[in-house]
Amino acid sequence: MDGRPLYLEPRLEPRLRSLVAAHGTLHSIVDALGSPLHVVVPDQIAENLERFRSVYRSHHLSGQVFYAHKANRSSALLRRLAATDAGVDVASLGELQHALGAGFSAGRITATGPKNPEFLWLAARAGVTVSVDAVAELDQLAALVRKHTLAPVRVLLRLSGFESSGVKVLSRRSRFGTPVRELELLLEAVERHADAVDPAGVAFHLDTTSVTEKATALEGSLAALELCRSRGLRPRAVDIGGGFGIGYLAEREQWEAYTTALTAAVLGRRPPLTWGGHGYGLRNESGTLRGTLGLYPAYRSVAGAAYLDELLARPAASLGGRPLAALLLEHLYDLHTEPGRALLDQCGLTLARVLEVRTQEGGGELLVRLAAKADDIALEDHGVLMDPVVVPRGGAGPGDVPVAVHLFGSLCLETDLITRRTVFLPRRPEPGDLLAFANTAGYAMDFHATRAQHQPAAGKVAAWQDGDAWRWCLDDQFWPITPARGAQ
Amino acid sequence: MRYDSITEAIGNTPLVRIDPAVHGLRTIDLYAKLEMLNPFGSVKDRAAWSMAGPLLAEAVEHGSQVVELSSGNTAKALAVIAGMHGLGFKSVTNRMRVPEIKDLLLLLGAEIEELPGQSECLDPTATDDPLTLFHRTLAASGSAYLHTDQYFNPRNTEAHLTGTGPEIVKDLDGRVPDWFVACVGTAGSSTGVARALREEDPSVRVVGLVAAKSDFIPGIRTIDEVQEVGLFDPETYDTMESVTADQAIEGMLTLNRRCGILGGPTGGAAYFGAVRHLRALDAESEERRTAVFIVCDRVESYLSYVRQRRPDLLGRPPRRNSPADLSEAEVGGAPSVTVAEARRWIETDRPLVVDLRSPYAYAALHIDGSVNIVDELFAELVRGGLPFSRRQPVLLACPVGEQSARYGALLTRMGHPDVRSLAGGIIAWRDAGAPLVRD
Repeated sequence: MDGRPLYLEPRLEPRLRSLVAAHGTLHSIVDALGSPLHVVVPDQIAENLERFRSVYRSHHLSGQVFYAHKANRSSALLRRLAATDAGVDVASLGELQHALGAGFSAGRITATGPKNPEFLWLAARAGVTVSVDAVAELDQLAALVRKHTLAPVRVLLRLSGFESSGVKVLSRRSRFGTPVRELELLLEAVERHADAVDPAGVAFHLDTTSVTEKATALEGSLAALELCRSRGLRPRAVDIGGGFGIGYLAEREQWEAYTTALTAAVLGRRPPLTWGGHGYGLRNESGTLRGTLGLYPAYRSVAGAAYLDELLARPAASLGGRPLAALLLEHLYDLHTEPGRALLDQCGLTLARVLEVRTQEGGGELLVRLAAKADDIALEDHGVLMDPVVVPRGGAGPGDVPVAVHLFGSLCLETDLITRRTVFLPRRPEPGDLLAFANTAGYAMDFHATRAQHQPAAGKVAAWQDGDAWRWCLDDQFWPITPARGAQ
Repeated sequence: MRYDSITEAIGNTPLVRIDPAVHGLRTIDLYAKLEMLNPFGSVKDRAAWSMAGPLLAEAVEHGSQVVELSSGNTAKALAVIAGMHGLGFKSVTNRMRVPEIKDLLLLLGAEIEELPGQSECLDPTATDDPLTLFHRTLAASGSAYLHTDQYFNPRNTEAHLTGTGPEIVKDLDGRVPDWFVACVGTAGSSTGVARALREEDPSVRVVGLVAAKSDFIPGIRTIDEVQEVGLFDPETYDTMESVTADQAIEGMLTLNRRCGILGGPTGGAAYFGAVRHLRALDAESEERRTAVFIVCDRVESYLSYVRQRRPDLLGRPPRRNSPADLSEAEVGGAPSVTVAEARRWIETDRPLVVDLRSPYAYAALHIDGSVNIVDELFAELVRGGLPFSRRQPVLLACPVGEQSARYGALLTRMGHPDVRSLAGGIIAWRDAGAPLVRD
């Protein structure tokens, strides 16, 4: 397979596929606003929400889908979501202000993550639900409520360190949440602050792709809720966080061929596939492969709403082996989820203009420099390997021969690589072409972006379909009632 | 045969000829080495005993725990061996994907630890992968553990170099087979046997089988995963080929049903891979040749694996009085009552209120005076006939009124004159503000 290009083509659903194909529109936006540029597609997020809702419906579950705001700071996406029945999960004072300003009423907001006093006060003042990390935070919140004579605040008790019965499921240690074995102490604090807080249920968030670990935590949460009830509390909900993932690639075979080739390259059995022989976590120790592939599983057959469905179908061993969904329903608990990345699936792309295509002396990969920094297109930061799509400036390029390229950013730094791997493209890009990085809305757009070296951070626009045409406006100008959106 | 210890029964497994009418090869005699007949049920008995045996005396002295990264047969053999010597055994695994094996290990007294999954958001602060951390913990703990280290331990290979390989040659009357076909897991058996055979006759061809990359076959690694195995050396194999889970199950069925060999999917993969490889070579010459493959363990532990992939193989005739037989019209026509009507009915006629939810949910909150018969149990009950007197009115309740409607329709069909389903279920009951108790 050595000579053949190892493509990693992005999975494109109809809306994003249509946008990528709108070459004229994409070039005209970048001409107007510069490169790099993020384009978000607000209508897609509403469609993704509906997929989650349908999983809820199929299990007869009630409860809220909270969009995890941290995954993208776009106003357009947030406002589009405000026009649905979704909630939003905010992790900072700024995000809370943004959510309130976008039209989310307090009942549809959960505040989570590390909180400063201002964040906590505004949350309590507005009446949003607070996911409480520890006893100290509960004390702090109760003190605020009393001092400022606020109404009791609805709280979810965020838990961690779940233990399984029978088989011990080791879980990554989390810096958030109260270990379940300290739950009694937390409940004592809740009872102490009965005048200031209303315990609505428990919450957890596990950063793992493993359904088993999440199932263990959900089972542990049900046990924790039972403990709450036995102490006379009336909890109503369990919030299982997010982490349901995205399938980024169109074809399993490409992903498998690529990772196999990468393994062979690390073991020295084929030419390197990366700049400087980077192994993405794998290393060669005297002919044996060691380490772990530090990559996002970019081809995932089960992700997003389907992942939630699979989780809910898992049997709970310590509760008679009934599926978790059935137990939630039978206990009359609301299920809250906080998908970030999964709700942003297919919700946007990032455009970068090709500045230079350099042929190396003696052949080898082409060196392609883009008008963008690596932090503007942070796919690599999240271990997501996916090819960009070439959006040509003119008509047909100089032949359609596949090429291998290295993609560099515009910073004056050796480390500013848009991708650390060799990227295969079906044709040679030319200066002036755009590279469209698909599906970057979840974490890969503005999570890491800086203005280093006085280089611009990517601008952002919102785009929507109007019949056969794509229309757009600045992200901040987008409202669900924007007149040019036609009938909507 | 008389032994002083069960461990003496390890090895000397039969070599059984597969009927040519089954495999259809004209010129090649195909033999199965039945490692499934080892006392703890698999080829891993040899490796486990070879690796642990010499270290047991010292481990007993220190009270060490035996540990291994294994999700299956090695863990099983080590758990038994450790138990026989009064030692604990812990299996650390990436994911034990076959539930029966997990339960069996727990039954044998093993402790199982599952390693955490991959991070959804790539964590640049993560210091190392879980496996490296595991090795570091072992190294740091001194003699607290007896780590058999099957993926790197040369005694794993040696068990087959001195045992399995020579046994094959002996049973073929001193001849070395022309082909040896083995699935690659730890690479211990394939490497050891291959070496033993080559020492006798370097012309033996060795076929290594791996699982297709997207598939899972218990006990076999994929082409990438074998690279992580210290004992794996690509030079051992003349060719590497892959087998899918479906093919493994096909091969297993042939062994089970047509050969009377109750091997599991790994043995099935070996059979399938062997026949596929040999078929192409069968026509080449008229000379009689011989091939050997390994049946590494038994089918019994893999029923859920089969159920998941080939439910049709476990199909049973439909049962009597099953709610699944009802038409949608029958379910839609089931008598139901609203919460308000139900409350009045309970006051006046005292129907038996049956709550179909799980005992945990029932214990947390339920309608006062109701009885709890969880739906699965209820399904068993009604299979035999009506579980209530016809004169006893019955109110069925479930979370949202869906299952109760189904069972209401079923009981009506079975001849109960007054069974009703609570419309909207316990959730509607709660939402209407009707009392739920916890007693």
